[in-house]
Amino acid sequence: MTGCVTRTTIVPLTGNIMVDGPMMITNGPPRDKVLWEYRTAAAAMRRGEFQLAKQYLDDALLTLGGISTDKSARLARSYFHPESTKAFIGEPYERVMAYYYRGILYWMDGEPDNARACFRSAAIQDADAENHEYSADYVLLDYLDGLATTKLAGDGSDAFKRAEKEARQAKPPPYDAGANVLFFLEFGLGPFKYATGQYREELRFSIRPSPVHSAEVEVDGQNIPAGPYDDLYFQATTRGGRVMDHILANKAVFKTSTDVAGNVGIIGGAVAAVQRDRTSQEVGLGLIAAGVLSKIVSAATMPAADTRTWDNLPRYLSFAAIQLPPGQHAATIEFRDAAGNILPHLTKTVAFNVPSDGKDKVVFVSDRSSTPQTL
Amino acid sequence: MVNYRSSLAALAIAGLVSGCASSGVRNPSGVPVTQMRPDEQGFVAGTGIESQDLVAVTDKMARSILGIPQIANAQGAPYIVLDPVQNDTRFPINKDIFLSRIEAQLNQKAAGKVIFLARDRMAALEHERQLKQSGQVTASADPNVTEFKGADYFLTGKLEGMTTRTGAGTSDYVLYSFELIDARTSAIVWMDSAEIKKQGLEDAAYR
Repeated sequence: MTGCVTRTTIVPLTGNIMVDGPMMITNGPPRDKVLWEYRTAAAAMRRGEFQLAKQYLDDALLTLGGISTDKSARLARSYFHPESTKAFIGEPYERVMAYYYRGILYWMDGEPDNARACFRSAAIQDADAENHEYSADYVLLDYLDGLATTKLAGDGSDAFKRAEKEARQAKPPPYDAGANVLFFLEFGLGPFKYATGQYREELRFSIRPSPVHSAEVEVDGQNIPAGPYDDLYFQATTRGGRVMDHILANKAVFKTSTDVAGNVGIIGGAVAAVQRDRTSQEVGLGLIAAGVLSKIVSAATMPAADTRTWDNLPRYLSFAAIQLPPGQHAATIEFRDAAGNILPHLTKTVAFNVPSDGKDKVVFVSDRSSTPQTL
Repeated sequence: MVNYRSSLAALAIAGLVSGCASSGVRNPSGVPVTQMRPDEQGFVAGTGIESQDLVAVTDKMARSILGIPQIANAQGAPYIVLDPVQNDTRFPINKDIFLSRIEAQLNQKAAGKVIFLARDRMAALEHERQLKQSGQVTASADPNVTEFKGADYFLTGKLEGMTTRTGAGTSDYVLYSFELIDARTSAIVWMDSAEIKKQGLEDAAYR
């Protein structure tokens, strides 16, 4: 059994994602590389380091974009390895966010068609939910798909209708093809994973409390409310069961069965072993040996669910668009609680230049963004 | 001997009990991606646009363009400008790479039959011209005479896609269409397309 033990590299963390992220990507376990790329990219976007975010997301999407049939996934399905053995690509809501962030960056670079491609790939990540009612039901992904199509002289009306239908909280406004400044907003604390069940084989999601429930953009004397269009906690918890959940449940049953069989073997063997009859004693010893073996097998079975989490995601996604003349502008983004009160400690200011070449200006703001920023 | 048999029996019981745990997951190992073309099959990493698609599509387009009368029978080599392709798929791509490869293929296989104009270098070309006009650098011809060529044709294209994703896997169909547009009349003098469909199913650990 000791031969099965895998050596793991322990990399000391500082608590600063911009230090820990690059260090873990380089020196951490390969199976966690994409997780750290996700985390670092999100942090980089909030600091306005968009080139860095692009670099990490592009590398992560190389793994995410493929059809994963790698060896680590086979091991994760085996009885004797936990699910977290597999290379992390995240649950669907995490995969969606990787594509969503990359889409924002493409739009920032003046490539709305590639941005649209990312939003479509993001939507596909959510397309195979067990409960079809919740398949590909992100409001913003459809809304932005349609907006990009409209801006590229196409017909985005179908995508807009889908977005309207999917809207459970804020309703997205009709497209303004002339709007040349796009605000991608996010706020709140995203979902985290934990495990329940006798062997922690059941994956669950929870949320940390966050006061922010909406945002408002103020620029050039105009106020644009930005409600929450998508809720990642809702998305994480409405997909239904995973195929992997059945595999973990089977592992748990195997672990229990071998444990019970071991107990039966050891107890039965012990009873037989104390008999005076030599044959009974031999049978008893054999049963004890088999029981111990079965207990070892049970102990080595690992049904634990993978609770690695992209832990710096937001809870809510929002968006606002406005038409502004070319030149320098400054925007103030205020975040509000459930009662509509401004949370002044979260207010952000962004100075940006609207280009005169007709391309859109993309502004990304999180309630965790550094402020002030100049784009 | 009896001990050996009883141990085996106990192990068999344990095995039987544990065997009850398996309720069967379909295709637990996943199904490797298969390129759904009638003339070839290959194993690829994803269902998206990959280098083998680029090569196959641009080879076909370059051969097709060379055969049209406007190119084959042209009085003098026509001037062509590349207009970026439109990406209407779910795959972010480097949009210039398709036209760059078609351009390279045409230049390689039919040198002189068509001439491409470097419109993507206009800023540098205009700067050079200004330097010549101001006398800051030498000129082999009168720099005040406009010699930048106008386009006879625009070569452009569009990538469109259709995707299905269910518990049975992911299927991606991409239609690559390219066209040559007469710059004077706006007539589409040539159009051709290629289509590729791929399917795959990822490991159950990711489903």
